Formats: sequence, C-alpha cells, structure tokens
Amino acid sequence: MTTALTRSDVAPVASAKRRRRAPGWLAVLPLLVFTAIAFGLPALAILDGAFTTKDATTGATSYTGANMTASLHGAYLTALLGSVRLSAISAVLGALFGLPLAQAVAGSRSRALREAVLTASGVLANFGGVPLAFAFVATLGNAGVLTLHLGLKDSGWDLYSFWGLVLVYLYFLIPLMVLTITPALDGLRAQWREAALNNGATGVQYWRHVALPVLAPSLLGGFVLLFGSAFAAYATAAAMVGSAVPLVTLQIADALSGNVLVGQENVALALSLDMVLVAGLVMAVYLPLQRRSARWLDA
Amino acid sequence: MARRLTPWRWAVLGLAALYFLVPLAASVVFTVDDPDGISFDAYTKILSAGGFVSSLLLSLELAVTTIVVVLLLMVPAVVALRLGAPRLRPVVEVVCSLPLVVPPIAFVAGIVSVLKWGPDHLSRTPLFQTFVAIQNPSFPVVLVLAYVVMALPFVYRALDAGLRAIDVRTLVEAARSCGASWPQALVRAVLPNLRGALLNAAFLTLALVLGEFTVAQLLGYQPFAVWIYNVGSDQAQMSVAVSVLSLLVTWALLLALAGAGGGRNRTAPSRG
Amino acid sequence: MTATTLEKAATEQAATVEFRGLRREFGATVALDGLDLTVRPGEFLALLGPSGCGKTTALRMLAGFEHPDSGAVLVDGRDITQVPAHRRDAGMVFQSYSLFPHLNAVDNVAFGLRMRGVRAVERRSRAAELLELVGLGDKGERFPHQLSGGQQQRIALARALALRPRVLLLDEPLSALDAKVRLSLREEIRRLQQELGITTLFVTHDQEEALSIADRVAVMRAGRLEQCAEPAELYGRPATAFVAEFVGTMSRIPGELKDGTVEVLGQRLPADGEAADGAVDVLVRPENLRVRADEQGGARVVATAFLGAVVRLTVRLADGTEAKADLPAHEAAGLGAGAAATASLPERAVLVAARTEN
Repeated sequence: MTTALTRSDVAPVASAKRRRRAPGWLAVLPLLVFTAIAFGLPALAILDGAFTTKDATTGATSYTGANMTASLHGAYLTALLGSVRLSAISAVLGALFGLPLAQAVAGSRSRALREAVLTASGVLANFGGVPLAFAFVATLGNAGVLTLHLGLKDSGWDLYSFWGLVLVYLYFLIPLMVLTITPALDGLRAQWREAALNNGATGVQYWRHVALPVLAPSLLGGFVLLFGSAFAAYATAAAMVGSAVPLVTLQIADALSGNVLVGQENVALALSLDMVLVAGLVMAVYLPLQRRSARWLDA
Repeated sequence: MARRLTPWRWAVLGLAALYFLVPLAASVVFTVDDPDGISFDAYTKILSAGGFVSSLLLSLELAVTTIVVVLLLMVPAVVALRLGAPRLRPVVEVVCSLPLVVPPIAFVAGIVSVLKWGPDHLSRTPLFQTFVAIQNPSFPVVLVLAYVVMALPFVYRALDAGLRAIDVRTLVEAARSCGASWPQALVRAVLPNLRGALLNAAFLTLALVLGEFTVAQLLGYQPFAVWIYNVGSDQAQMSVAVSVLSLLVTWALLLALAGAGGGRNRTAPSRG
Repeated sequence: MTATTLEKAATEQAATVEFRGLRREFGATVALDGLDLTVRPGEFLALLGPSGCGKTTALRMLAGFEHPDSGAVLVDGRDITQVPAHRRDAGMVFQSYSLFPHLNAVDNVAFGLRMRGVRAVERRSRAAELLELVGLGDKGERFPHQLSGGQQQRIALARALALRPRVLLLDEPLSALDAKVRLSLREEIRRLQQELGITTLFVTHDQEEALSIADRVAVMRAGRLEQCAEPAELYGRPATAFVAEFVGTMSRIPGELKDGTVEVLGQRLPADGEAADGAVDVLVRPENLRVRADEQGGARVVATAFLGAVVRLTVRLADGTEAKADLPAHEAAGLGAGAAATASLPERAVLVAARTEN
C-alpha cells in the first residue's frame, strides 16, 4: 500500500494498484501469444522432427536419434564444418579489417566523415543477400568486369569458391564490425590515455595495457556476432555458388526443396537443430561479453 | 598525437573505399556494357519485365503489414514494461532474442514442417482452412508471421533504446495530472517522443522484408528478392541493374530516416 | 591516514613550478594569453576562474598533454616544455572516470609501477600502502564500477602518488561528486598534501573550495593571471573588481570619488582601488553592509534568506540599486520583506571601481 501511495495516482489506492497490474500483463500478452504460435510452433517442429522418423510404408512415426547422427556424418558433417570454417575465417578477417576502419573514423575529429562512414556501414551491413551476390558476380565472376579487364581468369581466380565467398561475406561483415565496435571505441575515454601517459606509459604501452584490454570484450563480441551472421547466411551463397562450396544452409535448402532423397526432411530438421545449437552457443558467448563491455564503457 | 596518425588514417579509409566502391562501380559498368558501346537497356527493360511490378508490390505489401503488426505487438509491450510490468522485462527480452538463435534457414525448415501438419493431421478440422488461408499465394500471411518474428530483436532494440532516452513514467504522470486519460497520455505524450525510435524500427523492418530471400524462396513465393534471383539465371545484366537500384533505394531510405530525425541506432539486421 | 617515512622522503625535495609567458590559442580562442605564475615548494596552489579562463590548459601543460605556442614550463628551474607526458614527474587526478575499468583498485594504483617494470610483489605492496594512505586499504580487489564516485577519486589520488611525483595536479577532482563527499574529500586531500609536503596545483571553478583548501589562490581570467594571493587577502583586499566579484559575494553601491575619498550612503570614506574621480561603484561585502530598521530610512528590504547563523537581506537603496547584507539572525528579527531600513558602511577604507551600467 505504501508503495502505491508514493506514486502520484489520484484514484483510490487499492483500485489503482489493481488497475496498474492488469494493463501491464494485457499489453505484453499479445506479443507472448504471437511468438508462442509463430515462433514456438516451428521451433517445436524442428525439435520434434529432428528426433522422429516416419516409416515410409505404414506412415507411423517413431522417436529416433538417427537423424541427429546422420546430420553429423558424411556430406552433412562436411557441410557443417565448411560453414563453421567459412564463418570463423570471415569473422576473423572482418574483425581484423573492421577495427582499424572504425578507429580511423572514431579517432577523427571530422563529424562529416564519421556520419558518412557510419551511414554507409548501416546500408552495407544490410546489403547482403541476392543483390550482393550479383554485384560480385558482375565484378569478379567469370564474365565480371574486373575478371575480364585484369585477366584474372588466367591467374586461377575463381569467385565461386571458398575464398570467393569469404571476399563477398566481408562486404557486409566489415561494416557490421564497424557498427559494433565504434561505440566501444567512442567509449575509450581521453582520460584513460592521459592517465596512462601520466603514469609513465608510452603510446604503445597504453594500447597494450589499457585500450586493447578494455576493448577486448567488444572485439570478441563483435567477432562472435560476425560469426553468427556469416553462419546463418544463405541467400548470398545460394545465389553465387549453388552447391559448389559445401555449407550447412545449402544442405538444408536442398533437403527442403526435395533435391535429395525423399525422407530427408527430418535430416534437414536435425541439421537445423545443429545450427540452432551453434547459434545458441554464439549468443551464450556474446551476451555476457556485451554486458561486461557496457559496464566498463558506460560507467 | 592524432595529427601524426593522419596518413595512416587516410590509407585505411582509402583501402576501405576501394573495396566497397569497386564492386558497385563494376556492377554499374557491367549493366551498361554493350558490344556497341554503352546501353541503358538493362534499366529500361526492368519496368516491362514480367513479375517485376507484382513482386515489388508483394514485397511492399508484406513490408507494410509486417511493420504494422510488429509495432502493434511491440509498442504496447515495451511501454508496459516501463510503466506497470517491469518484472516481465526478462521474459520479453528473452522472447525477443530467441529469433537470433534460430537462423532463418532453420526457422523456415520448422515452418515447412508445421505447414505439413495441415494436410497430414488436420484435414478434417476447421484449422485446416486457416492453414490454407495463410498460404494464399496472392498474399501469403505465413510470410508476415515469419517476418514479424525475424524483426522482433531489431524492433525491440530500437524501441528500447528510444524509451531509455525518455522517462515514460514521468511523461505519463505529467500528462495524467494535466487531465489526460490513459489512452490520451500514451498517444499524445509518449508516442510523439518515440517518433525517432518508431521510424528506426520501421526502417529496420522494411530493410529486412525487402531483402528477405531465404524464407520466401523456400516456401515457394516470389517477392522482390526472389524475383531478382530468378531473373538472374537468364538475364544477368538486368538482375545486376536491379541489385544496384535496390542498393540505391536502401541508401535513400536510410538518408530519409536520418533526415527525419531518426535515432542513432544503426545496428541493422544482416542477412547473407 | 598517516604518511609513512617512505612518503616523507619525497617531501624533502618539494619542487618549484614556474609558468613563464605561456601562450596558447585554439583556433580563434585564446586559452592562455601570457600566463606567468610561480608555485613555491610544497605549496598548495588553487587555480581559480570561470570556465574557459585557461586554468585547465595551464595544468595540462604542466602534465604535458598540451603544448604552449610560446613560453615555458619550468620545474626547479629546468625547462620541461619539450619533455613528453609520460616522462614528466607529475601525478594527475582527473575530473572523473579516469580509473582503468578493467583493473581493480590495486592494479590501477600499481599501473605506473608496472610500466616502470617494478616487480609484481613490490608494486603490489606499494599499491596496498597507498590505498591504506587514502583510507581504502580494504577495497583493493574492487573494480571501479563497484566503487562510489568518492572512492574512485581517492584511488585516482593514490594512483597519482604511486610514482612519487614531484608535483601533484588536481583537475577539478571533486566536481563530479555530491556535496557531502566533496567536503570530506577535499579536507582529506588537504591533509594528505600537508603530510606529504608535495607541491600541488588544484584547478577549480568553485571559489569556496579554493579559498578553504589552498595556501594561495591564483585567480585567472581570459588566459591571464588577475591576482595570486592568500585566501584572506584575496577576499579582503581583492586587487581588481573582477577578483572582488568572482570571489565571494559583492554588491556595487554608487558613490562619488574625489581626492581619494568616496561619498557613499551619506558617508565619506577613504577609497582603495583604481578609478577616475567622479561617479564610481563602491564594492561592498554583505557582512560589511549594516542595515537597521528605520521608519524614516530610504532603503527597503525586498527579500530575506535564512542561512543559519546569518540572514541575508536584499535591500533596495534610496537610489534604486540593490545590495546584499548579512545580519546575525537575532538582529534581522524586525527586518522582514517590505520593512523600511537604513544602510551604512563601517568607517574604514572601501574598494572602488569604475561605474558599470546595468
């Protein structure tokens, strides 16, 4: 009662308290119901399908671990590992190239440059998918402008390969890194640099003992975010390489569109579950890092 | 110190500009390149190409519907978190982060198998009609459902950032003490202050829906991104031209948003 | 809270700091316009002035974060203008947020020793000693975000002292703290400084803070030194009208200056200060303006504010100017707002300044 009294509500205390409680739940309820249906059902379907199998003759379903086992063997395992390798390498390179770019912007006193680069990053981080694939096909594909003019074909260049995909993925991963790490770089306070110098540190010592350790959670968080983004990417790869590079997303799509043996849908669901587990792991690493860096940088 | 680093900074910016501008420039060259010189045929043919208008319209309809639905679901929820139900915050936060853990391709795999339940188990119940209705090819509601889920994390982040900047409780109490009713307080006092965040959320959702490929293609619909993909197999120049145009449109939208006094939160949904 | 013998060793060679003709422009604004100032060994000197007067720039030049366009900074007669920041012997405490967020209190304090390559055991014991010195011996393992603002500033102080600097620089270290903490921390800084005997420069825009803590106060204005004197002299005998009005409360009462005496409030008093004969303003501290209830008096009380031991009256004089007067609470009893009164000055020299229109 006393807590209700301190709030400046004119209505009688008891009814005010009840009224306040009710709309809170009611306002959140539609969201919860919606996600329970639109997200919960597919999620359950993945979980259920990954562990069931349907007998082709009787149509009866039974629980089994066979799909999961299959999803971790042979071509499926190759695809899963291929996706992890592609995502890890792209994310490392994206983070490595994104950091100096972000630093060049954050350290600049030019507001215009800053705004321009950040806006461009916002657009380019969005520029994934089919249009990106086609832009690179036009540039570095077999009939691409640069391929023809620079005679890259003779030197063995092939866009439709693992490293070709890395090059394309970086196009949206680097901007994503810039967007992720710039706030952290902005959070590096001038006083820290000055305090370090004041305590006898050189510029290099400042970076090694203060700036990089303070940035570490954000850097790692950025890397993990890039990894997740590359790992989930499907459209770019589908539009560019077809199935020339084994990726788990392409395998799932193949299984869903019936390009492989009948009865493989449940393996597709098992592969999906593998992906969810990897993505879940990614978030489990990312969120605590994010929280720590926020605590350090916004204090 | 900062001054001495300038050459280094220009080198970094120059290399970045090279990497990011060359594919765009090359794409433009590619589209206008013609055995007889320069030709803008690829661009002029777009409008008359089969499916262009209908797929673009479908994408826009899906985008508008998704934006409306996601805002109708999220705005009351996040405002309520600030006002009356702070204990629900972790619940909503988790609900809005879950879609990040399920990649679109896995999500669509789940949707496909849910949709199969219709004919398999429900053919004699009224629910079956619902299953048919949401898959209507002229306006696939199932895509809206999927896109709303996929937009939740970004919309939540945008709205939460906007709400953090204003003190909702004080705003509402001030409005109430000036004689406004609850609905009036929300519409007249809170929403106008959320304009930037709402615009931001709407833009992120728009960008997501316009570019979405995975779910739509695997469910067998043809909105804009899928159309570009399908065109690409036989009309390479035109598909690249459309890609260039779609990038320009995204630019224009983002600049318009910045001009409209939008927020600074540019963490965009990314899709590969 | 006692300085150890270890600390005392540093005090025997307290440093002299000299600013010589320091000049610095940032674009169109002149931050320092030829600053000359000498800080005596072991002295606690406050740099006081409104924001933008150049006080922080001067301090940062001593720390090596800014470089003068011309002029020099000397420590014990040695020109250190060209010495890079990390090799200057000056410990600095910043306004706020200067603790390294990824290090706990001990490691923050030991940071400088680590940069010097001091062994881990040694630097940890030295850091613990310094934390003890600032009264936070038990908080060594805490991280900055787990500490209050006041505690963070104490640790920043310990860190600034870790390398046994010859000069201690305090850049508004209290401005981000709330009033109570500000008061107790400033007393502690002063006590610590006296125990260590370290030459200290303290930048502040809060005149009360400067007067209460410093041996001498240097008042700056627009990149120049207005006056550098002990607090009592600064308050009682301000050299310029700017100092008079910036330090403490000062009312301007119109008067007529003639042959070194001034006609004010019906009295003729000896005049100090530089002004041409004719219409001048007499600068009066509230505690020097006497007000008593008087039905026939030309002055009128327009407002009263209770300040504890005294009541501050705002009085409108016969000619319409308003002046402040502090009266002991018991004397102010009959002087509510609207009361008629007479104002007068004590029979001693007053400070005059050229008349300003306002």
